[in-house]
Amino acid sequence: MKKKLLLLVSLLLAFTLALSGCAPKQDDTPAKDKLIVGMGADAASLDPHATNDQPSSRVARQIYDTLIVQTESLELLPGLAVSWEQVDDLTFEFKLKEGVKFHNGEVLTANDVVFTLKRALQSAFIGHIVGAIDPEGIVAVDANTVRISTKQPFAPLLTHLAHPATAILNEKAVNEGGEDYGQKPVGTGPFKFVEWVSGDSITLERNDDYHGTAPALKTVVFRILTDNTTRTIELETGGVDIAYDIQPNDVSRVESDPNLTLLRDANLATTYIGFNVEKEPFDDVRVRQAINLAIDMEAVVNLVYRGVGAPAKGPLGPNVFGANLDLEAYNKDIEAAKALLAEAGFPDGFTTTLWTNENQQRMDIAEIVQDQLAEVGIVVTIEIVEWTKYLADTAAGEHDMFILGWTTVTADADYGLYALFHSSAKGTAGNRTFYGNDEVDRLLDLGRTTADQNARLAAYREAQEIIRDDAPWIFTWTGENLAGTHKSVRGFVQHPAGHHRLATVSFGE
Amino acid sequence: MIKYILRRVLLLIPVLIGVSFIVFSMMHFAPGDPARTMLGETATQDQIDQLRDELGLNDPFLIQYGRYITNVVVNQDLGRSYVSKRPVANEILTRYPNTLKLAGLGIGLAMLIGIPVGIISATKQYSWLDNITMFFALVGVSMPVFWQGILLILLFSVTLRWLPSSGFDTWQQMIMPAFALGTGSMAVIARMTRSSMLEVYRQDYIRTARSKGLGEWLVINRHALRNALIPVVTVIGLQFGFLLGGAVLTESIFSINGVGRLMVESIQRRDMMIVQGGVLVFAFTFSVINLGVDILYAFLDPRIRAQYK
Repeated sequence: MKKKLLLLVSLLLAFTLALSGCAPKQDDTPAKDKLIVGMGADAASLDPHATNDQPSSRVARQIYDTLIVQTESLELLPGLAVSWEQVDDLTFEFKLKEGVKFHNGEVLTANDVVFTLKRALQSAFIGHIVGAIDPEGIVAVDANTVRISTKQPFAPLLTHLAHPATAILNEKAVNEGGEDYGQKPVGTGPFKFVEWVSGDSITLERNDDYHGTAPALKTVVFRILTDNTTRTIELETGGVDIAYDIQPNDVSRVESDPNLTLLRDANLATTYIGFNVEKEPFDDVRVRQAINLAIDMEAVVNLVYRGVGAPAKGPLGPNVFGANLDLEAYNKDIEAAKALLAEAGFPDGFTTTLWTNENQQRMDIAEIVQDQLAEVGIVVTIEIVEWTKYLADTAAGEHDMFILGWTTVTADADYGLYALFHSSAKGTAGNRTFYGNDEVDRLLDLGRTTADQNARLAAYREAQEIIRDDAPWIFTWTGENLAGTHKSVRGFVQHPAGHHRLATVSFGE
Repeated sequence: MIKYILRRVLLLIPVLIGVSFIVFSMMHFAPGDPARTMLGETATQDQIDQLRDELGLNDPFLIQYGRYITNVVVNQDLGRSYVSKRPVANEILTRYPNTLKLAGLGIGLAMLIGIPVGIISATKQYSWLDNITMFFALVGVSMPVFWQGILLILLFSVTLRWLPSSGFDTWQQMIMPAFALGTGSMAVIARMTRSSMLEVYRQDYIRTARSKGLGEWLVINRHALRNALIPVVTVIGLQFGFLLGGAVLTESIFSINGVGRLMVESIQRRDMMIVQGGVLVFAFTFSVINLGVDILYAFLDPRIRAQYK
């Protein structure tokens, strides 16, 4: 018996020792040209019309090109379209770059653009990006010229045509792919699709016939690492070169590691707490202002987001085109809040509910708000509602207060304001506070229809001032994109919209 | 015996149909519209209606279920994922080996360590060895998989850098997940072995064996263990089922591309087709293992075998 036990123990020891000799080898070949990116969720489909989720865009962005490129600094530059001009109030004409080839060898023509946009209009997923385009107004003038008209004058059209959802597809490839097209995408982009191991990884390789500057990388692998901690650890241990979406509680870990770099850049996301302005007592602007004055948003940023992001002063994040950076924040002022409440007829506060879905950060925010509003006598009950019921019931106006986020994916104020504050968008379309103000409507319509960028800027500045004063939201938080990279990664710049381009990445010392 | 096995295999069919009906109705009546989940907060009512129509979600419940089950039975087709549009069978089958391997390794490790530990504890009842192992068994039962998994990663991947923290292709990648998953079962098996051994020890035939002058090792090995292991086999069979469930968490922590993780993600996305298919596969696996345990039982215990003669 003792002998056996001894044998067992020595076997175990030998096993442990053997392990230490078999640590995974680090790849340190000098000419490294394979980039591994850690991503938190698998793509749903690489057919840009079959989904609107971020992981899919992050991959599709490398495979496809759009007519117009929106750079990381949110400038609009030529993409597949080398030039464009406005023909009339409704119509833009685009000249396509010549000699561009799809990954299947087909040459890009105006017909592909027409086909793509008409197909996009049929999609239930990306109506928010292409909805303004008139289906009859997509016309191939000649092989390299396309005209695109909108149903009404639509100034932000160019930013919409820079969104990855409007990437240009090849008609032949889509028809050949049929129901499986989303699994074998064909684009004109810097990387070609190679393999997709569902739930595990997506592999791309350099497109040697790329019409722009060819990437230095030969291979890009997206690894699906769903657990946030694991993703950070894989970055630390060399399993990935870049990890997307580092969580706030891992920030210091990545920052303190000498082999890693943490990238922090303001993104286009905002979190807000909306009132139901058609319901008592939130139909009184003084109540809404009082609540804004009763809450210290610094506490939310520090406790919930651990210092990541910033307190929101208005409805738009700082780098959205048209954001008014001079808005005066509602700073915490309990006395002023109490005075406003008293004036509105609630000197002792009232009882209300605050809805959130099952999202840890939003639930944390709800608790802080509950705690802080108690100071002015407002008793808040928090209700956690299942996500789709949440979306349906807030769209139907059954709530008092609710927490939600919005990402201005086009980085244009139109996208960040129209759906949320225009009175025509009440309900499902996005305006879940049921806010309406004739002057704001007029300004948002002006911003949407006028081509003069300075006039647009002025309209949006003014609209934000009114919205700030009308306070249909508790302006809560604006976000940051966090990514960690190895020190050897060069040329990686985060895109504020989150779909980072990898064609410029290379490895250095 | 053959007749018995055949009857049990045929019984699988109503079980699987019943399971599919229960899951289908649960997913159907639970809040959460797949179309709205997929389209997100920017969707208009028109877009939601359009997608619901494309997915066939506007039909009455029984028609939807009927369409599904007919397709499964007649065409052996589990349908396509709502989200990725891939065939469900492919999605599951590519991941199924990983889940089975994980659960198998977990239960293997649990047996390899759990049974000897249980025997040692029983033979040295109330000794310091017994106390220590039973203490660790208690810790093992109480420790949640996800917490233990993170601790293992912190120690072996981050601090010592001996083992990779994710993936499931090489044996280095398999150790931690198998261990994390197996610990709970290991502890259960050890405790079961111990109590079962102690019970057998009190039987008359053990006293007889000892009084014949047999060595203690022979008594344990030939007389006590064979009888003590019968209830342990049942526990192992049941534990394997639990491990399939535990694989869900383990797969997420170690980023293993298995059926469990697929199911969790699909539940979150309300991808009912995948959830359905996954549950069917799990139910099938569990039933087959149960059947295997029952058959094994008959082989181990002549008294049971005698009933089918």
